[in-house]
Amino acid sequence: MWKYLLKRSLLMIPTLLGVAVVIFFLIRIIPGDVVELRMSGDTGSVSEEILKSERARFGLDKPVWQQFVTWIAGVARLDFGTSMWTGAPIWDEIKLRFALSMQVAVMATLIAVSLAIPLGVIAALKQDSWIDYAVRIFSIAGLATPSFWLGIVFILSLLIIFKWLPPMVYTPFWVDPWQNIQQLIWPALAVGYRYSAVATRMTRSAMLEVLREDYIRTARAKGLWQKLVLWRHALKNAMLPVMTVVGIEFAFLLGGLVVTEQVFNLNGLGLLFVQAVAHRDYTLIQALVMLVAGFTILVNFAMDVMYGWLDPRIRYR
Amino acid sequence: MAMNPTVEHAAEIERPAPRSGVRSAIVDFCRRRTLGALGAAVIVLMLTVATFAEFLAPYDPVANNFGAMLSAPSRGHWLGTDSFGRDVLSRLIYGSRTALMVGFGASVLGATLGAILGVGGAYFAGKIDLVLQRIMDIFLSFPLIILALALVAILGNTIPNLIIAIMIPMIPRCALVIRSSALSIREMPYVDAARAAGFSHARIIMRHMLPNVMAPYLIMLTAFLGQAILLEASLSFLGLGVQEPLAAWGLMLRGAAVEFAETAPWLAIFPGLAISLAVFAFNLFGDSLRDALDPRLRTQ
Repeated sequence: MWKYLLKRSLLMIPTLLGVAVVIFFLIRIIPGDVVELRMSGDTGSVSEEILKSERARFGLDKPVWQQFVTWIAGVARLDFGTSMWTGAPIWDEIKLRFALSMQVAVMATLIAVSLAIPLGVIAALKQDSWIDYAVRIFSIAGLATPSFWLGIVFILSLLIIFKWLPPMVYTPFWVDPWQNIQQLIWPALAVGYRYSAVATRMTRSAMLEVLREDYIRTARAKGLWQKLVLWRHALKNAMLPVMTVVGIEFAFLLGGLVVTEQVFNLNGLGLLFVQAVAHRDYTLIQALVMLVAGFTILVNFAMDVMYGWLDPRIRYR
Repeated sequence: MAMNPTVEHAAEIERPAPRSGVRSAIVDFCRRRTLGALGAAVIVLMLTVATFAEFLAPYDPVANNFGAMLSAPSRGHWLGTDSFGRDVLSRLIYGSRTALMVGFGASVLGATLGAILGVGGAYFAGKIDLVLQRIMDIFLSFPLIILALALVAILGNTIPNLIIAIMIPMIPRCALVIRSSALSIREMPYVDAARAAGFSHARIIMRHMLPNVMAPYLIMLTAFLGQAILLEASLSFLGLGVQEPLAAWGLMLRGAAVEFAETAPWLAIFPGLAISLAVFAFNLFGDSLRDALDPRLRTQ
């Protein structure tokens, strides 16, 4: 087990390094760079000399491989440098917005899980009944509805029906929880619906599979209380694939927030990413992508380990 | 120009079991999988609308009419007009063209390249497979939209470039699934026989292995279709996809739709409904297709 853990965690390093290489070189192919964009913003045209000296300031005049080595050496020490656009340290830029995005992500996960598990279980128990059909249609619709449009519809209905708009200014949870929830519940619902659809479908199919197992029949045959069979025998075993989907979706939620934050005008990591791409803020894009990819890779690792821990049938070499 | 192959392709999807007679297979599919048939009907309707957009659209989708800005749905403009006085219905009809072109283009290319890589990896095994797997792992660590966003920024936002940007993140997702089913096919006697007969690697992969992963391939393809349409809408909504004045559903939701939400809610509602309906139809159809082709893959 320990050997496996070590081997598996070492395997994360080449993947992360690969992500670093891909994103580093990918964004440098994007036409235009941060210096050009920043300088032309003020005056329209700037002399070659200023551009040159500015590029030198960011180290953009050095050979690309040298820039990469400098950057990756920093990343290894968890130092992402400073934003090329604002000049502020990357960690400060991220810290400002991390709490907001994380809170929306956590709220969306709570919404998704609390919808998905009951719905998925009921649909599986009443397979091919009208309840099953309703749940399936509800979840397929969740996959089909763009979260940004759902957000627009929320705003629209609140405005037209209640003549009320969610607060526009972000209040941290510990300052005023009520105000904070009032603002963030809507994006969380918009993202959570799609998220719950994915999880509902997984719960349903995992439950269907488990319910056909011999041990469920045995448990029923020996006259166990139906609820106990469900909770102790079926749901527990069906949870593994559901947890995986929830974990992976959580890691990808940052991606989902890219568009939704735009609708609700939330100053979160998603909005930061879109701005960073528009500004060609190389260091910031790199840091954000490494963060999301690193998180995804970590979640996958955690899931792999948990599989072995929760399911003794899986043996690690 | 891209319309023809897409129409052909839809026809291909609808015949999962050509051996038992195309017509009876379709009838059987409709009877046993009502929801899937419903999805297929909406898809056919959309393909028709997209193909004959010129004849169906009541107005020119890009013609400004400043006399009729933001007018509510009426007899003249069934779904109202936008802030430039353009007819919303006409823009929706032309927008289906954009959505389907990007959707079919990206998913067909992405699934096909993914299938070739997946089968190739399984066939060659060993080092090639290992390297391919690692590269796929790297690309799988990016959220779909973040990779597509970066690619679109590099390539620029014409429709062919959008197709490429959306297709690339789909390749590893398809390769992963196809590889696992190709692994068992590689052990089949007929692959050994083909190898013994001295066929080239390319021929064995293309002629003997690829046709046998058709089921997971079609399942991935239909799943990607909806995702590609959603992704295109998201990118266009962010202003990084299709550009004005071209009609695209995501683009119609951008800017004015939010700005005039209170006074002109039709601007925000109809394009979103169109996106949802399209993706819903593809998902319904894909789900039923999956159940029909391979019940084991239900959990995917």
